[in-house]
Amino acid sequence: MQINKTPLVLSLAGLMLAGQVQAQDNKLYLFNWTEYMDPAIIEAFEEQHDVDVVESYFNSNPEMFAKLQAGGTSQYDIIVPSNYYIPRLIETGLVQELDKSKLDNLDNVMEQFVDPSYDPGSRYSAPYQWGVTGVIYNTETFPDAPKSWSLLFDSETNSEYPFGLIGDGQVTVGSACAYLGHGYDCASTDAWREAAQLLLDTKGRETFSGFTNGTPALQQLARGVTHASMSYNGDFLFYKEENPETFSEMAFMIPDEGAEMWIDAMMIPRDAPNPEMAHKFIDFILDAEVGAQLSNYNYYASPNKAARPHLDEVLAKPPVLPSEADLERLQFTPTLKGEQLQVFQQLWSEVKSR
Amino acid sequence: MNKRLWRRGLSAFWWLTLFFLYLPLAVVVLFSFNSANSSASLAGFSLRWYQRLLGNEQILSAFANSMVLAVVSSLVALGIGCLIGYGMYRHRHRKLGWLIVLIYLPIVLPDIVFGISEMAFFVQIHEATGWLRPGLGTMIIAHVTFQIPFVALIVYSRFVGLDPTLFEAAKDLYATPFKRVQHFMLPTIKPALISAFFLSFTLSIDDFVISFFTAGPESATLPIYIWGAIKKGVSPEINAIASLMIGAVALAALLSLIFNRRRPA
Amino acid sequence: MPRISQHVMRRRAVVAETRHLLFSVGPGVIWIILFLVLPSAYLMGVAFMTNGPYGLPQMPLTLEAFERLAGFGFLGWSPGNIYTLLRSLWQTLLSTTLVVMVAYPIAYYITTCRERWRPIMLLAVVVPSWTNQVIRTFGWMNLLAPGTPLSELAEGLGLIAPNMGLYPSNFAVTLGLVYNFLPFMVLPLYAAFEKLDHAQVEAAQDLYASPLGAFRHAVFPQTLPGLLAGIVLVAIPAFGMYVIPELLGGGKGMMLGNLVATQFSGGSNWPLGAAGAILMLIATFFGLFAMRRIGKRLGGGEEVVI
Repeated sequence: MQINKTPLVLSLAGLMLAGQVQAQDNKLYLFNWTEYMDPAIIEAFEEQHDVDVVESYFNSNPEMFAKLQAGGTSQYDIIVPSNYYIPRLIETGLVQELDKSKLDNLDNVMEQFVDPSYDPGSRYSAPYQWGVTGVIYNTETFPDAPKSWSLLFDSETNSEYPFGLIGDGQVTVGSACAYLGHGYDCASTDAWREAAQLLLDTKGRETFSGFTNGTPALQQLARGVTHASMSYNGDFLFYKEENPETFSEMAFMIPDEGAEMWIDAMMIPRDAPNPEMAHKFIDFILDAEVGAQLSNYNYYASPNKAARPHLDEVLAKPPVLPSEADLERLQFTPTLKGEQLQVFQQLWSEVKSR
Repeated sequence: MNKRLWRRGLSAFWWLTLFFLYLPLAVVVLFSFNSANSSASLAGFSLRWYQRLLGNEQILSAFANSMVLAVVSSLVALGIGCLIGYGMYRHRHRKLGWLIVLIYLPIVLPDIVFGISEMAFFVQIHEATGWLRPGLGTMIIAHVTFQIPFVALIVYSRFVGLDPTLFEAAKDLYATPFKRVQHFMLPTIKPALISAFFLSFTLSIDDFVISFFTAGPESATLPIYIWGAIKKGVSPEINAIASLMIGAVALAALLSLIFNRRRPA
Repeated sequence: MPRISQHVMRRRAVVAETRHLLFSVGPGVIWIILFLVLPSAYLMGVAFMTNGPYGLPQMPLTLEAFERLAGFGFLGWSPGNIYTLLRSLWQTLLSTTLVVMVAYPIAYYITTCRERWRPIMLLAVVVPSWTNQVIRTFGWMNLLAPGTPLSELAEGLGLIAPNMGLYPSNFAVTLGLVYNFLPFMVLPLYAAFEKLDHAQVEAAQDLYASPLGAFRHAVFPQTLPGLLAGIVLVAIPAFGMYVIPELLGGGKGMMLGNLVATQFSGGSNWPLGAAGAILMLIATFFGLFAMRRIGKRLGGGEEVVI
């Protein structure tokens, strides 16, 4: 009984707070990944609701989480974290429960995202986009690249060309785990240890360029700073569209050992200044046509089943929609907490600082 | 013979160092006019990145934030620092060691420690009371804090350089302290005030780390914007913004040169 | 009566003076205490708190953060943080030395030029540092990336592995530090050179045959105060540097400043970050103290400002 009451009290408090602040200004603060929103959607929303949308950006989940911890809960109305950060946000009380009575378009969400493991019953989150973190490499440099993480982790497969890894520790360690045969979603200390050792060895290689976040990694590939790196399928297509010449010799690959599938979802921070408008925004994104427009712009798969008829052709095939065989090899990044999280963070900081 | 060779060597070293100092800036400016979307090869002359800048609201608002932050914080620091400088001078015969330590503190504290402690502190205060919400306000507070010592030291050294009998004369000349300030103090320390303002302004514009940690979502300054842009992947637009800033600095340098020329040292 | 009134007057004068002191110095002192001393004290406090499940500080008080900083954790002892500390020290030492080696001849050369040129030359050295350090560092990113002439040259000379750029690397970090801090060394050294007693130098030149001897015995001691001031101005910010390793180091050249910053943004362990900040402060104040001592011992005396 106790547990059931808390969210109610919380949302009541949120509503009261909302009433207080809402009158003051008509703005919506959106805290999103970079290059992840069609400006036309923002314009349409601004027009429809006579509101000013203020966008700020983050490059990684840890960065977003740190901003929220550092007082950001009262500064943003919408955040777009990835699946494995959602439980962390809920547990630390940094987000508020969604008021589903205000989300008419919630029925548009695909069945597999209605009751996800990271947020049972979707009480706090509504899906935004989903995608894959794989390897992007230069096909001129690696004409017969194996469909494997060895392109990054094996010094014999790639002995000469600079490569990068992703800056988010859990994703990089997971990928190292996959290469070692422990599966991408490894969560045992022993597997992590082995992966950390592999990462330390990898870091020691002359051709290791550094840890970069997913989107900048693509820029590095384009400029030749790296020849193989980890990044996201949709961002890759987005850049390829924008700059076809440079990216024509690049390919996206899902290693056979397994890789990350992620879902980014919309959430409302605990003390959001304008939760009323935030709900309207979430509902707006969940609209069939807007959802399709978003995916068409972003080149990411849509979790919106009603959007399907409006989607571009490219979104129905790899790399946006991986093949059946590849889909089976994709896994979510495990959610960590408590001592497990601390152990992980210690290992990761060891990898970074040595 | 040997001496001349030695001088030639020194002169060559000087020009080499200048080259080293200006090369990175020159490259930024050069590539800002590059028509290709690349920072590795030059294709041709174009102003497209500058045109893009004008349409970018975020950059314009970041620029406005930088300016507001620099001007407001410099003015506040000027007021407070000026008072300290004068107080230090008037009471220089007292034992004010603690004051000196306090004033040097913002100068010697590594800026990352400075920025982070401000951030952590502001966050806690905001959680507890709702005040000090991260934004331009907190940034101004932080900037004033590191500007005060520089203003105080400049004003203090100006007073020290004055003939002490001047103060006596001013006391006889003007009846009220207010008039004394208006007709004697302010005019005499005007050069110090001007240079203190410019130094504060430059310090504020130059700062990144402290701004970065005390900023809110809407108060990104130009350097913070550029930082974000670099982090998300380099776009040639950054060259254009950076070039504008370099241009502004070059202008300031030219002005200060002219200003110094006119006024005999 | 007159004695009493004199006494009262003196007391009044003292009260007035004290009030004057309070009103002039007071606002600034309050400001610095409120917005610098208190926040720093709070940060010190955080270092002694427990790391919460998601990185925020919690009660009870503990020394855990310091143990973690020294490398003790769930997995036994590991040297990662020690490496970071050593790397910071090494980068600081290396870049400060390089800065001194470049700044000495430059500062000297400026003083040997005609007087009317000197302010312009000084300005020329200082102007690049007026642009923001993010922009300066960005300039180097452009210059050192793979495929750029400098990188090709280094590759041709066999200094770096093929296809790699000069950035990201530890070398790029050192270069960035030297570039960033050169003006801070030139200015105080120039001030010292300008005051140089040339008669003494000439006497030394007669006494010691080699120019090196003359330098060591006549020039060096006289420029020492400037040198020490410059070292303080360069080494302290270099030791706590955040921007340059972050942009030019590519995650390989992490320094103490980055270690501290990550704990507050992403690494999420505030107490550990605060403990790192304390370590940085101790190192800084120790450095300052040592510089003062050296300055005094070598006769720099009062002129060592900081």
